[in-house]
Amino acid sequence: MNPALLRRGLVYALLSLAAFISVFPFYWMIIGATNASADIIRGKTTPGGALFANAATFFATVDAPRIFMNSAIIAVVGTALTLVVSSLAGYGFEMFRSRIREKLFALLLLLLSIPFAAMMVPLFVMFSQAKLVNTFVAAILPTVASIFIIFYFRQATKAFPSELRDAAKIDGLNEWQIFLYVYMPVMRSTYAAATIIVFMANWNNYLWPLIVLQTADNKTITLILSALTSAYTPDYGMLLFGTVLATLPTLVIFFLLQRRFVEGMLGAVK
Amino acid sequence: MTDMSTRWKRTLCVALTGISIVTVAAASASAGEISVWVWDKAFNGDTMREAGEIYTKAHPETTFNVDDTASQDDIRAKLQTQLLAGSTEGLPDIVLIQDDIAQKYLQSFPGAFEPLSDSIDMSVFAPYKVAAATLDGKSYSVPFDSGVTGLFYRSDYLEEAGFTAADLENITWDRLVEIGQAVKEKTGKQLLDLDMNDTGVIRMMMQSAGEWYFNEDGSLHITDNAALKKALETYAKFYQADLVKPVSGWAEYTGAFTNGEVAVVPVGVWITATIKANADQSGKWAVAPIPRLDMEGSVNASNQGGSSWFLLSSSDNKEEAIDFFKTVWAGDQDFYQDILIKRGAVGSLLSAREGEAYKASDEFFGGAPVWQNFSTWLGQIPSVDYGTFTAEVDAAVAAQLPTIIQGGDIDAALQAINDQAQQQMQ
Repeated sequence: MNPALLRRGLVYALLSLAAFISVFPFYWMIIGATNASADIIRGKTTPGGALFANAATFFATVDAPRIFMNSAIIAVVGTALTLVVSSLAGYGFEMFRSRIREKLFALLLLLLSIPFAAMMVPLFVMFSQAKLVNTFVAAILPTVASIFIIFYFRQATKAFPSELRDAAKIDGLNEWQIFLYVYMPVMRSTYAAATIIVFMANWNNYLWPLIVLQTADNKTITLILSALTSAYTPDYGMLLFGTVLATLPTLVIFFLLQRRFVEGMLGAVK
Repeated sequence: MTDMSTRWKRTLCVALTGISIVTVAAASASAGEISVWVWDKAFNGDTMREAGEIYTKAHPETTFNVDDTASQDDIRAKLQTQLLAGSTEGLPDIVLIQDDIAQKYLQSFPGAFEPLSDSIDMSVFAPYKVAAATLDGKSYSVPFDSGVTGLFYRSDYLEEAGFTAADLENITWDRLVEIGQAVKEKTGKQLLDLDMNDTGVIRMMMQSAGEWYFNEDGSLHITDNAALKKALETYAKFYQADLVKPVSGWAEYTGAFTNGEVAVVPVGVWITATIKANADQSGKWAVAPIPRLDMEGSVNASNQGGSSWFLLSSSDNKEEAIDFFKTVWAGDQDFYQDILIKRGAVGSLLSAREGEAYKASDEFFGGAPVWQNFSTWLGQIPSVDYGTFTAEVDAAVAAQLPTIIQGGDIDAALQAINDQAQQQMQ
C-alpha cells in the first residue's frame, strides 16, 4: 500500500471524526427543534414534525421580541463600546512609549487571572450604590474594557507599519485623525475578528447579566434559556427551538465577517 | 467608615441620577405588590400565581408579581450575591428555597429572613418541613411542596413476575433487591435506573432512619453513621446484583422509566407529573410505600427534595405577606385540593388530606387512593437537620460511589467521604 495514500486516508479519517464531533451538537440542536420532548429523550436523531408545535410553545412561554431586543441592545452597544475603548487602548499601548508601559501591561494581563466570580460582589455593591442595578448600563459597562481585546489589538498593532503613521503626521494629521482615518481602515480585519469575538461573548454573557438584571422584562435570551432547562419537566423541543433562534445572530455575524475573521486571526494588514 | 460610605453613596447618587433617569426602571416592587421568585413556571410558578389570585380576590389592594424566569441555581446565585453585597435592592418579598439548603441561608445571613412562627401556627404543617427551616427556636418558612417519597412501580412488570401490591407493602430495601432479581429473570427489565452523580436515593434511605450527614452541633456524622453505611451497602447491592440501568443526567433518568426500561422508581412525589405525562401507560403504574433500611429506627417513609416560601426582612409588604401566608397557605384547604388536581403539587398542610381531591383514587395508578397514601406517609417522615453543608457532603459521597459499587470497603469509603467533606467545610 502506498504510504502517502495511507497517511492521507488517516488524516481524512481523523479530520472527519473531528468534523463530526464539532458538527453533531448543531445537528442535534436543529433536529431536536423539530421533535417532541419525549422523542428527544428517547434519543431520536431524525427530523420530526413538531417544529411548529415547539415554535408555538416557545412564543407562548417566552416574550421573544422583548427578550431578543434586550440581548441585541446589550450585544450591539456592548460590542461597539468594547471595540472603541479596547482598540484605543491597544493602539496606545503599542504606539506610545513610556517607562511604565510594559509594567502596566503586565499588570493588566495579570488581572486576567482573577475569576469574574471573585469580582461579582464588589461590582454589585458598586452598581447598587450607583443605582444602576437592573439597567442595561450595568450589564454592559464591566465588559467594555476587555483586557483580552486590548491585548489582541496591541499584538495586531505591532504589524501596523509605522511608516504610515509617520507619513500621516507629515501630512498634518493629529493622533485622533491618524487613529480614525489611517489606523481603523487598515486594521479592519482585526476589527472584524474582534467584532465576532466580542459579540459572541456579549450575546452569550451569563453570570453578570444574571446577577444585575433583575426583572423578567430586562432579561436576555441566554438567561431565559437557562431558566427553561431547569423546569421539573423541561420541554426539550421548545428549548432547542429557542436555542436555534438564540444561535442565529452569532451565526449570521460570523458568516458575514468570516473572510475578514480569518485574515484578522492571521494578523494580516493590507 | 460608615460616614465615608454614606458620603460616597450620596455623591454617586447625585452624579448618576442623570444616567438612571434614562435607564430602565428599577426593580423595586411598588407598594401593595408582592413579588415572588420561583423556578418552575408550570409547578411552583402557577401554584403561587393561583394562591396570589385567591388573596387578591379578597384583598384587591394587594397584587402579586411571580417571576419564574430564573432557574433554581440562578436564584441561589442572585440571592447569595446580593445578600453578600448587603444590597436588598430588587430582591423579591418572597423567595422559594429548597429545604436542604435553607439552613445555609438562615445561618449565613442572619436577619435576612423574617421569622414567621410568631405569627403563623406552624403545627398545621408536616413537622419535618417546619424543622428544616427552624433556627434557634424560630421557624422562617411556610412549607410548600413535600418531597414525600414513594416507590413508583410498573404493576404490569411486577405482576408478570408474580408479585402483587401486597408484596411491596412495608418491605426493606434488601427485599426489593430480591424482588428485582425475580423481575429481571421473568421480564428482562432492570430494577431501577440510577445516576451516580445524584445521591438522592442514598439520602432518602438515610432520612428514613432519621439520620443525616451532621450531628446536632453541625459536626460531621459520617464514619459513625449506621444509616448512611447501610444505605451505601444497599446502593452497592443494586449494582452487584446487576439490577441497575446506569444513566447520566435528568433527561436520561426520566427517559429510562417513561420508556418502560426499569421496573421501579424510588422518588419524591413531584415526579408524578412526569410519569403521568405518558398517558398510554395509564393503569400500568402503581405506588407502594418507600422501602426501609434493615435496621432499628428506619421507617417506610422518607423525603426527597421539596421547598418552602421565605419572607425577606427587606420586604416593604411584610404584613400583607404574612396575612397572605396565614389565610391561603396555612388555611385554605380548597386551594390545596386545587393545586393537587391541577399540578400534582402535594402541599405540606396536614389537614389538606381531608379534602375531596386527596381522597380520590387515580385510574393512572390502577385506581388506588395514591394521594391519601402519600399524605399518610407525609406525616411519618422523620425530621432531620439538613445542616449547612449538605451539598458539600453530597459531592464527597458521589465521589466514592464508583468505588463502592465495585465492592470497595464501605468503612474506607466513609472515611474518605468524611475527609473530603471536612476539607470542603473549612
